[in-house]
Amino acid sequence: MEPTKLTTFFKENLCIFNLRSHKKLSALREMVKHLAKEKMISDEEFIMEMLKHRESLGSTGLGNGVAFPHGRSIAIKNLTVLFARSANGVDFDALDEKPTKIFFLILAPSDSGAETYLSLLSELISIMQKPKKLKKLYEVRDFESLMEVLGG
Amino acid sequence: MVLKEEHRLLIALQDLDIMIREVKDKATADEFKSLGFKMEGLDELLKAREELAGKIPIDLLNRYEKLAEHYSVAILPVTGDMCLGCFVKLPTSFFSDAYKHELQTCENCGRLLYIP
Repeated sequence: MEPTKLTTFFKENLCIFNLRSHKKLSALREMVKHLAKEKMISDEEFIMEMLKHRESLGSTGLGNGVAFPHGRSIAIKNLTVLFARSANGVDFDALDEKPTKIFFLILAPSDSGAETYLSLLSELISIMQKPKKLKKLYEVRDFESLMEVLGG
Repeated sequence: MVLKEEHRLLIALQDLDIMIREVKDKATADEFKSLGFKMEGLDELLKAREELAGKIPIDLLNRYEKLAEHYSVAILPVTGDMCLGCFVKLPTSFFSDAYKHELQTCENCGRLLYIP
């Protein structure tokens, strides 16, 4: 079976190119609210609680200005990815303590396995390890340029 | 979703249990670690679980925990007119307004269901 193309996980309405929050919880809240507004989740609070618990295991801000908040919840129907970019960065307790500018929020349904998002996380992380791609990603301002970076 | 508070807490508990299982499963935890994620706060999660469980009426909690021994997901939202656990059609009475704030039981498999 041909692997699913990375870009197919992203939707234009699930991108925030100018995240306003500067702190961890408010940034997560802003992203979750966006998903609720787009009717991708049935309950904001279940998702927020789950994400906060996940962060208590260790920040999903892996450094180099990129974070991958993720988890499974009953409040989500299908594997969903939200992309967010912050121009000034968010204090996300990243492992390298630098501000986080790029977020890939990945949510999967409760009845799916962790493998549902592990392969997606792995693919995204390998892209983020390429300095040229990462530099371009910091600057994306629209869906088209995001797709160029992720698909190229 | 307009569920009763005790039912909301139970659903949050299930999400937390799923995460705890993920951390306890060595193969999964190792995969996350290999990607660079830290998986270090199990004690904190267990403490959060204890606190959350303490807010849920004991009979409801016992019912959930018994189901969770058999099913990886004991509480499910209803989509269409079926239980997504056993795929059996739910009776019309299930969708009555009188029960819309309640967790209900699938008569076939016993899972707890709610209308999102």
